[in-house]
Amino acid sequence: MSLLTRNAILTTATVLIASGGWLSNSPMSGLHVTDPEGHNISQFAPGNARVVVLMFAATDCPISRRYIPEIARLQQEFFSQGVAFWWVFPNPDDTAAVVRKHELDFSIHSQTLIDTRQELVRLTHVSVTPEAAVFAVNGAGLREVYHGRIDDRYLSFNQSRPAATHHDLEEAIKAVLTGHPVTPPDEGPVGCSIVPATLSNPHSNPQP
Amino acid sequence: MTPPRIPPLVQFLFVFIVFFAAALLERSSPVKAASQPDAPASSALLTWAHDIAPILYNNCTTCHHPGGAGPFSLLTYSDAKRWAPQVAKVTASRYMPPWLPEPGHGDFADTRRLSDTDIAILHRWLATGMAEGKLAEAPKPPTYDATWQLGKPDLVLKAPQPYTLSAGGTDVFRNFVLPYPRTESHYIRAMEIRPGAPQVVHHANVLIDRTASYRRQHSADWQQGIPGMEILLDAGNTFDPDSHFLFWKPDTPALIEPEDMPWRLDPGNDLILNIHLKPSGKPETIDVQIGLYFTEKPPTKQPMLLQLDRDDALDIQPGDKNFVVDDSLTLPIDVEALGVYPHAHYLGKDMQVWAILPNGQKKWLVWIRDWDIDRQSVYRYREPVQLPKGTVLHMRYVYDNSESNPRNPHTPPVRVRAGNRSEDEMAHLWLQVLPLHNDPDQPDPRLQLEEAWMRSRLRKTPDDPISLYNLGAALTGEGKYKEAVEIYKKENNARPNDPRTLTALGAALDGAGDWQAARKAFEEALAAAAATHAQLCDAGFDLASIDLRRQQFNDAEKEFRNQLSACPEDAESHAGLAATLGSEGDIDAAQSELRAAINLNPNNPQTHSALAQVLSSTGNLAEAITEQKAALKLQEDDADGWSNLGVLEARTGQIESARHDFEHALKIQPDHAQAKANLTHLPAAP
Repeated sequence: MSLLTRNAILTTATVLIASGGWLSNSPMSGLHVTDPEGHNISQFAPGNARVVVLMFAATDCPISRRYIPEIARLQQEFFSQGVAFWWVFPNPDDTAAVVRKHELDFSIHSQTLIDTRQELVRLTHVSVTPEAAVFAVNGAGLREVYHGRIDDRYLSFNQSRPAATHHDLEEAIKAVLTGHPVTPPDEGPVGCSIVPATLSNPHSNPQP
Repeated sequence: MTPPRIPPLVQFLFVFIVFFAAALLERSSPVKAASQPDAPASSALLTWAHDIAPILYNNCTTCHHPGGAGPFSLLTYSDAKRWAPQVAKVTASRYMPPWLPEPGHGDFADTRRLSDTDIAILHRWLATGMAEGKLAEAPKPPTYDATWQLGKPDLVLKAPQPYTLSAGGTDVFRNFVLPYPRTESHYIRAMEIRPGAPQVVHHANVLIDRTASYRRQHSADWQQGIPGMEILLDAGNTFDPDSHFLFWKPDTPALIEPEDMPWRLDPGNDLILNIHLKPSGKPETIDVQIGLYFTEKPPTKQPMLLQLDRDDALDIQPGDKNFVVDDSLTLPIDVEALGVYPHAHYLGKDMQVWAILPNGQKKWLVWIRDWDIDRQSVYRYREPVQLPKGTVLHMRYVYDNSESNPRNPHTPPVRVRAGNRSEDEMAHLWLQVLPLHNDPDQPDPRLQLEEAWMRSRLRKTPDDPISLYNLGAALTGEGKYKEAVEIYKKENNARPNDPRTLTALGAALDGAGDWQAARKAFEEALAAAAATHAQLCDAGFDLASIDLRRQQFNDAEKEFRNQLSACPEDAESHAGLAATLGSEGDIDAAQSELRAAINLNPNNPQTHSALAQVLSSTGNLAEAITEQKAALKLQEDDADGWSNLGVLEARTGQIESARHDFEHALKIQPDHAQAKANLTHLPAAP
């Protein structure tokens, strides 16, 4: 069983990610990541998983929303190859109830994480939505091999291609699956800044 | 006299009718990215209430409100705080608010360009912690009605079926047909569009299809909407050029026309909604409604949409970063320009449009340095731009078909030419112009614009059949029959036996006085193998009409009867047969043909008037008055009609009504001799 652990994240991740090292398999006790029903999630890689993708998203970010079909396509493409996809909602206002409605509206069927403490954000060093983080599974350990844009469709808010020409996330997944080194993206991701946890919306109603 | 009919021909480029149909007579009646802005000089702490809310309310919230076209709301402090990093970024790059024209190159109403100071304030507020400030200082938030902005419309048109936009993929360009269901004409003073899913509708153009031709072209599947950016419409038998920019984008929900320039819808018209949709990430239902607001007042000003274009020159090699096309058009009359609409697809980069006045002065009409199809718009001038006769309009568009153009639909780039798909290109410019001098006794001045425009097109593509046809039609409309004959002969030589051209040639020949040759042309049109039902009906009508005018009543009757057995739905042929029968003395038969004509088309004042005369001759004065009034309701400025009504009313003893009618006729036409004489025959007022 492969586990992405809090210990791994909080104690060793920073160093190891930077050095491309492996995470050890440690208990997940301290990580405050839940599914939309409020259950703590500590297991990110199912038994057969070789790759774990965390897809950081925001329910209200237009670019993040527009990528939903592309992520669904990738999920479909790699379904049988041991790639586990998670949607991760890190923004303070993306409460469980908001996310559940979003999943219904956009027919999202992947597994979903609420990360309003932004522990996964800090672990993976993502900054915007949508942005992906890819982990290679090795035995019981997870190693971050990629974080950044999904593809090069958006060059900036004002410039987008009709269709992507470089599918960075897809290539990263394929590289892991085929045992090749992962190429970092040429450019940073384009999207909505992740709202800092301290900036929770003063006027929004708290959600369960 | 019953004027001949020329069959219609129209080409529709992208979204506007470029060509009109028959000319002769109406049958029935004689950004550039900004550098990082400087912070404002004031060092006072910026707050949402005092500094930010006014900027957002004035510039952003028309789209960015709950349920609005923007993807998120910017109405509250928490909204502003949530989106502050994006707001600072997209305003600094001038992506938002959407506004492409370069300042100082055309003075436009509703300019959406943010000032450098406002951009700096938004940036500094983000940088200094996004304080809320005293709520009491905040302006009252604007309210946005989720229903119709102008109140309940007089008529709401709906697409026959909702359309489902898929969750992802490339942008969608689709045309929905919305039939106009009324049996009477209306002038439209305003229009609102409610697209159903405002956040995915980028822009829309509404086109008037006078003859429901697009629906006929797609009879099997028009209900679902037809994909494509370019459509071809048939404008019908009258010179009725496109005149209004019915352009919609999310921040202009209500399109209000100037009071003196409403547009018109007639029975049988369709509206075509040409719509640009951007997938949102989930399937969206596009369930379009168009709200129309009527006015009783007919237009007193008749603008026209002029087009410059260089589609013929678009042949862009892969890798070419700097492909240039240009076009020019010399104005044959004084006009004022009211608005401008530049258009290209994804390779368009720099678009310059200007005018050189007869005195040599250069006047900018618009300059877009970084074209973006997603943010295209019609731009209306704050004040009309005066363009005297002899002014030369210029457009110069630059295209980038290199790999470094991120909007390039092809990777690697491929050779690109003009076409209907979004990955093809276009080089179009529309200018809404208003002729300055309009003499009701002269042909419509827009015919001269049409002539100049078609001649300009023919200089670029000398053999273009549509330009040839429409030039012929414009010349015919201007009464330049001999020139029209030459043009149609040229077209007929290039593409022999086209029934439409033959009928138009016949009409021009008839106008030039050569009725024998005209008859021959109509007969050839009738014999042409390729003739459609409508074309046969047009040619047959024109042939019979010549014989009616020549008082060859036997021939005319036979031809009209032949015509009606082939085209029983043709109201004007019933009226023509009525005129023939009336001339032959068969009043009862004439009356029944006129009633048949009115049944088929109740909106033709001439038929009502003719029936009034027939009824009057049979002594049925009461019904004659009713018919004459019906005619005048359809054509209020008909001095003869008022005089005739006066005679009918005088004959029934309604002296004061008759007096009023004669006076009305004289008000319209002060030298109306008959009305003057009739007035003197009335007994003096009591």
